[in-house]
Amino acid sequence: MNLTENNENKAICSSEIDASCRLPLLALFGGAALWLVLGLALGIVAMLSFHQPDMFADCSCLTYGHAQTAANDLLLYGFVMPAALGVILWIFARLSQVTLVLPIVPVVAANLWHLGVFVGTVTILFGGSTGHPWLEYPRAAAVLLFAAFMLISVSAAATLGFRTHRELYPSHWFLLAGLLWFVWSYGTANLFLVGNHPPRGVVQAVIGWWLTNNLLFVWLALAGIGIAFYFLPKIVGKPLASSGYALFGFLTLIFFGTWVGIPPSAPVPAWLPTVSAFGALLSIIPVIALGIVAMKTVCCAKVPCVGGSFCFIKFGVLSFVVSSLLYIGEFCPRASRVLDFTWFNVGVTQWQLLGFAGMILCGAIYEILPRVMGKELPFAKLAKLNFFLFAGGTLLFVIPLLIGGVEQGMKLRDANIPFADASAVALKFLRISTTGQLLVLLGALCLLLNILVMTIQWKLGLVKTVVSVVKDSLIEGSAYQPLPGDKEAKS
Amino acid sequence: MSDENKNCCSPETGEPTATRSSAPMWIIVVTLVLLFTGGLFLDSHSGWFDKNVYAPYQSREQLESIQPKSGEKQLLARGKAVYESVCGICHGSDGLGKPGQAPALAGSEWVMAKGASRLAHIPLAGVAGAIQVGGKDWNMNMAAMGAALPDEDVAAVLTYIRSSWGNKADAVTADDVKKVRAEIGKSPQPYSGSQLLKMPE
Amino acid sequence: MKTGFSVFLAAFVALGLSWCGLVYGPLKQLGGAQETTVLQSTDKWPVQRTGDATLGLQVYRANGCAACHTELVHQTGAANVLTLTDIGVHKAADLKDFTTSLLGTVSELTTASNTVVANLAGWNGELPKVIYSGADDTVVSMLGDKFKAVGVKTEARVIATGADIARGWGTRQSVAADYLYDSPVQFGSLRAGPDLANIGVRAPDLNWQLQHLYAPRSLVKNSTMPAFRYLFTVKKIGAQPAPDALVLPKEFSPATGFEVVPTDEARQLAAYLVSLKNNAPLYEAPFTPITAAK
Repeated sequence: MNLTENNENKAICSSEIDASCRLPLLALFGGAALWLVLGLALGIVAMLSFHQPDMFADCSCLTYGHAQTAANDLLLYGFVMPAALGVILWIFARLSQVTLVLPIVPVVAANLWHLGVFVGTVTILFGGSTGHPWLEYPRAAAVLLFAAFMLISVSAAATLGFRTHRELYPSHWFLLAGLLWFVWSYGTANLFLVGNHPPRGVVQAVIGWWLTNNLLFVWLALAGIGIAFYFLPKIVGKPLASSGYALFGFLTLIFFGTWVGIPPSAPVPAWLPTVSAFGALLSIIPVIALGIVAMKTVCCAKVPCVGGSFCFIKFGVLSFVVSSLLYIGEFCPRASRVLDFTWFNVGVTQWQLLGFAGMILCGAIYEILPRVMGKELPFAKLAKLNFFLFAGGTLLFVIPLLIGGVEQGMKLRDANIPFADASAVALKFLRISTTGQLLVLLGALCLLLNILVMTIQWKLGLVKTVVSVVKDSLIEGSAYQPLPGDKEAKS
Repeated sequence: MSDENKNCCSPETGEPTATRSSAPMWIIVVTLVLLFTGGLFLDSHSGWFDKNVYAPYQSREQLESIQPKSGEKQLLARGKAVYESVCGICHGSDGLGKPGQAPALAGSEWVMAKGASRLAHIPLAGVAGAIQVGGKDWNMNMAAMGAALPDEDVAAVLTYIRSSWGNKADAVTADDVKKVRAEIGKSPQPYSGSQLLKMPE
Repeated sequence: MKTGFSVFLAAFVALGLSWCGLVYGPLKQLGGAQETTVLQSTDKWPVQRTGDATLGLQVYRANGCAACHTELVHQTGAANVLTLTDIGVHKAADLKDFTTSLLGTVSELTTASNTVVANLAGWNGELPKVIYSGADDTVVSMLGDKFKAVGVKTEARVIATGADIARGWGTRQSVAADYLYDSPVQFGSLRAGPDLANIGVRAPDLNWQLQHLYAPRSLVKNSTMPAFRYLFTVKKIGAQPAPDALVLPKEFSPATGFEVVPTDEARQLAAYLVSLKNNAPLYEAPFTPITAAK
């Protein structure tokens, strides 16, 4: 099909590339935005249990244990992953200067993915969670997610394989490694923990921590930084600064970052948390190095930043540095005596998911959507509002959790203070934190609205497009071919 | 990009590129420093990958030393402590002795005698002159190292040397030591090897 | 990093190394673990759950209890402790001087940093009195002998220390052996509620657990735990009240003529909670149990 065309006509124009990504990206982004809104809403519902303990006494699905688990998974698997995959597909196509290879595959995969998330969420809400943190989805959902990821990876790798410039750009390293990372770690963890013969005892938890770290720290860093390193130079119109730092950061991230994960208070032999603390110490290097690359690229750039994509991504990179350092701090044995088992860890995770990955992905989506759809955002002002709601909301959400966590930890550490006092001190911070959650939710609604309206507009204009395809044989290509997939794109 | 492209594309900055540079020296140095620091931490806290060592314990030895002692175990732990502060200087903490200074206790027929009475005379009174240990002739001049120790400590240290480094013999009680001490009397004179051999085991 | 293959290779090696270290290694070392023996005893550890308690683990999982509760005790240190239990014919004041002079020699003997020597200045003879706590077990046995010689009874114990233990959440830290029969293992990561590793020791009464699940604030005044009323059924009292109906204080009981009966799930969960005990001394987590001390 179009592959041969691409190879013959190497300098393909970017609007054609963008158009080839339209269906898969709409399917991925649309679902992601929907899950984001649902996940945030469910997160707020979960927190209600702390404000009014008996609220869901007669309704099992919405208690903290059910809703919070489902909400966390919705953020990671529902929003961050599909959105990142969509952005990765587009970046690979753009960097390769070819149209997306096998564009129908990611469309199918996106629907499989969303089906998996749906099945998983419903199962958790009705008590079917596997009980392993960040791996709560039952086997059926896990298989769907895994298959969908593999399909998208195949499409991405094929697009990369057909690239016109042989040399790889730094984003390639991060994103390519990220594709392998998820397949391996998610596959391993599911085989061991959700399979028929889980290992005995604490090994389950060790594998769970290994996966959690590989997803929440390494994978998010690989995907988020890979995406940021593509957009930052593009927006400021300068080459990416100091690729030496970037390479060094990449290598240290994958070689050291992946050893983190076993908390210092874990009831496992001392060597496991010690190795993790060692990895955490060394992981400071990539965080700093990657931060420097971003800073050097952005500095002195005379690009206005008023709530646009640039703001999103800058905020995201800053969040990466701060949240990663906080995350690393959790594994320092001395700090962990205060921080372990407190709201601090919850705050760091939410910062990583929303402040870092969420911000960069929103920025990327706002940057990509107009190009892919061939028209401006329907509500550009809402996009700006989205930034301020997201940035303010995330900080308001996370910082009280961090402060409250430290205070709670100090009180937990002192056995003379009754346990009830230690819990009570966190409660007042949780009230502020829920306000922040509401703001983030409003921001997510802006994103959903933009994507939704764009999709509807596009569908309405579809008939016109079909006519123009017939008329103008020049534009006829892969871009407007997969009409059968249109309906799937709705989800 | 070709002209043809410019016709159909919206004006767009090209795909990003990266400046070439190598990693600066300082970050490599910092990495090495952190590697070294982390290595020290790993060495001191990992318990050397022992599956029984859990934090806050840092090594198998530390874990051993904190085990609640009962009966023989407690006796052994105490004997070890006494041995290392009193006897180990010459006989070595590995019980192999020092050439020209003190014979080996590990595998020694004196130590593993059936009864402990003869053996107990050695620390309580000392040894002077010729003595044969493990087929080697020694000319000893050992003071009464155990004379000032309480009976419990002497019993503990004898039990310890009789059951360490592959030695296997019955435990020694404080009463055994008490009897021997009474036998020797208030002003002990060091024995020679032949004198010792005449005593019952 | 010029070709896709080199990136793939670097990522493969990096992840492979950590896979070997943090997945394969623990699997090799701990995956084949068997029951261990309780310290100074022939009892096996852990005790396998039976009946309702086994099913209760799944109720605990399904309701996401681990989102707010941990099941692990953390320990920050351990100490050999010597306690005076009986001062015999001596007067407290006389013994004070004797002890102080003894302890004076000890602080020279030991260099361990976590050594705590009791300050006897305000001591009026109340017993038991901890007089030494430190890492050095030879000091404890030496002091014990000295006291024994003057007819004073002492007790030497090994104790675990740390905030969790001071809170009464356990007597020692949790170790891998405690979780041998758990699947899934649910450590939990947030202590919004208290640690449950030893809840079966603290609250061994099934009815207490059931009432606490139905109406937490009827038993713990400041509790922030949500009520799990959906695990119970409220029904009209028949000819005779159900034998397992909860006995509730007035403000928590349903309308007159109705009674609260736990469902199977609630019973299983309560049985599971009562079965939670991490309190046997083990080689890797030693301490002297109170009953075994002389």
